[in-house]
Amino acid sequence: MIWALLGPELLLAIFALAVILLDLAVKQKGVLAVFSIVGLLGSIGASLALWGTNGIALNNMLVIDKYALFFDVLFAAAAILVILASTDYVEKLKGFQGEYYALILLATTGMMFMASTRELVSIYISLELTSISLYILAGFLKDAKSTEAGLKYLLLGSVSSAVLVYGMALVFGTTGGTHLGVIWNAVKGLNGIADNPTLIMGIVFLVAGFGFKIATVPFQMWVPDVYEGAPTPVTAYLSVASKAAGFAVILRVFFEAFGRAPWLSQSWGMLFAILAAITMTVGNVVAINQTNIKRLLAYSSIAHAGYIMMGLAAVGLMESQLALARSGILFYLAGYGLTNLGAFIAIIAISNNTGSDLIDDYKGMVRRAPVLSLGLAFTLISLTGLPPTAGFVAKIYLFNAALQSGLLWLVIVGVLNSVISAYYYLRVVKTMYLGEPASTERLSSSGPLRVALTASCFGVLFLGVLPNTVIQVTEAIKFLVS
Amino acid sequence: MGLAISFWLLAAAAVGSALAVVLLRNVFRAALLLISCFFAIAGLFVTLGADFLAMVQVLVYVGAIAVLLLLAIMLTREAATGSPFSRWRIGGAIASVALLAAMIAVFRATPWKVADQSVVLKPTTAELGARLLTPESGFVLPFEIASVLLLAAVLGAIVLVKEK
Amino acid sequence: MVGLQHYIILSAVLFCIGLYGALAKRNAVIILMSIEIMLNAANVALVAFSRYVTPQLLTGQIFAVFVMTVAAAEVAVGLAIIIALYRQKEKVDVGEVDLMKW
Repeated sequence: MIWALLGPELLLAIFALAVILLDLAVKQKGVLAVFSIVGLLGSIGASLALWGTNGIALNNMLVIDKYALFFDVLFAAAAILVILASTDYVEKLKGFQGEYYALILLATTGMMFMASTRELVSIYISLELTSISLYILAGFLKDAKSTEAGLKYLLLGSVSSAVLVYGMALVFGTTGGTHLGVIWNAVKGLNGIADNPTLIMGIVFLVAGFGFKIATVPFQMWVPDVYEGAPTPVTAYLSVASKAAGFAVILRVFFEAFGRAPWLSQSWGMLFAILAAITMTVGNVVAINQTNIKRLLAYSSIAHAGYIMMGLAAVGLMESQLALARSGILFYLAGYGLTNLGAFIAIIAISNNTGSDLIDDYKGMVRRAPVLSLGLAFTLISLTGLPPTAGFVAKIYLFNAALQSGLLWLVIVGVLNSVISAYYYLRVVKTMYLGEPASTERLSSSGPLRVALTASCFGVLFLGVLPNTVIQVTEAIKFLVS
Repeated sequence: MGLAISFWLLAAAAVGSALAVVLLRNVFRAALLLISCFFAIAGLFVTLGADFLAMVQVLVYVGAIAVLLLLAIMLTREAATGSPFSRWRIGGAIASVALLAAMIAVFRATPWKVADQSVVLKPTTAELGARLLTPESGFVLPFEIASVLLLAAVLGAIVLVKEK
Repeated sequence: MVGLQHYIILSAVLFCIGLYGALAKRNAVIILMSIEIMLNAANVALVAFSRYVTPQLLTGQIFAVFVMTVAAAEVAVGLAIIIALYRQKEKVDVGEVDLMKW
């Protein structure tokens, strides 16, 4: 039974090992990508096969519920798109393709564990598995920018995880346990901050540690440099999967351990509301002046973390809104994930040809690469939140959840921010469609990359036109323990 | 009484050497004082009855981590002045002291629920092993994830250092 | 009499010293050392809680074992990156970084 419950993660870990071994045997390195994708598809299959089962195993630490399985599928799907998009990139990897794919699989394994555990030690160690794999991937190109990105990411990431582990130590020390259930039992008996100020300090440390992973202000300073320097497929993966994993953990930890005592949940709900407002504003305002498209998307991803935090605030401020807000967060993560991956895939294809990430070099791109430009324009429209895209539905849905929790002011801030963001997203679209191209040379892109771009654009369109099919699924998702 | 004296001595050693690590400009001395800080903390673990952890502290931190750090320092050509301050020298100090004051105030205001201290401390090694590896009551899940984590770290170290 | 409060205040002192080092230093190796001090501070707190809050269960000590594992992995990867950086730049200040410069 344990083996079956661990299926999605176990399969990926085994495939990661197998990819390294296969790397030694085959000359044709394209096989490795296919093999990794088979592993990820197998993992998705295992998750879907488990869909609906509720299992708790390994001393209450592993919890397999629809929430965990939803994230398993999300992470694996993101990894597939990233691997497809990496095919143009692999010649830069200097013969380390096997390790590259293996590390993507290991990072995905770590994220899956993050979503399916309810115990602090396991959360910490799986978060570190994810982070360490990503530090390495960020520095994978071994040129000056990539190495510096890797170093900065590692140093700041380690500081933040030290803060996180100290926070976990304080929570453990004041509640006597590391299981979220045990922590909740201790929290239940408290009536206010004065009963246990150290616990509150521990929670603040947790917010800081997790806040780094999802890149909220003031822990966002690593994002632009790391996103710019890391290999672009890795950047795409960072901005989507690693962020989603952070939210997966935060929502489970904060709801299960600290979410049902109103005096406590309203404090952290308000904290998240304020952080959300600051984060989205900082992200959008700084994005306006960016000239590099990767940095632009880095700040845009900070802004989107702000929007998603509105969902956390909604859960904290009104427990009765849990179902709606959780569903909003899940839908937003899926829609944002597909959209952002699509945008990055188009950028990978374009900058592989032009060798530049500057927005100025996108002038008149529509005449050099009509399909790529259409894909990028479509995903940017989705990031802005205009119909008929996933971004539009996701924003309406999540803003509605925030409204139901009485966060009118935050929704107004969110809408104003969307207007600001329209300016810089649509400026890129305008540059591509109305600018004069620097040359008339057509761009080429590989087949797998085109498949990935098409898949993500159709996903974005599907979520935008027929959102109900997915919303029905996300609304049925519950925590097994609550 | 002996316990109290050793606590204060070890605490002073740990704090003193940690301070030296972050204040000295000489990287090599900083690394040596970091080792002394690790040793002092191993001693503190002994005063807390954590015999196994004290040994692991010496083996892992002094034996592995500190040696790795020294190796990296060999790459620094100006070890004597290789540890300059950033622009955050003053701001960081103010922030850290403020955080420390807040933490101490919070810890002192907390009504700690301390368990009965009359239990006899036993050697912890066997108990720790059982707690780590019993599926029904132990920490098997993080243990297994840790093994995957070490695999990722080994892979990464090879990829990043090896030239092709 | 030395008790729980002594140990956690000591751990807070160590933690803040480590944090200061991470903020105020520019050499990557020194920043890694400061991070190790922060992790050690967390371990002191964990072991103290283990001794005073749950003396029978050893949960804090087990947590500390995992923290050490992660610390070793982080240092190994960190030094690999520093060596990669050294190879590119061949300059005196190995891994000179200013984490707060954005």
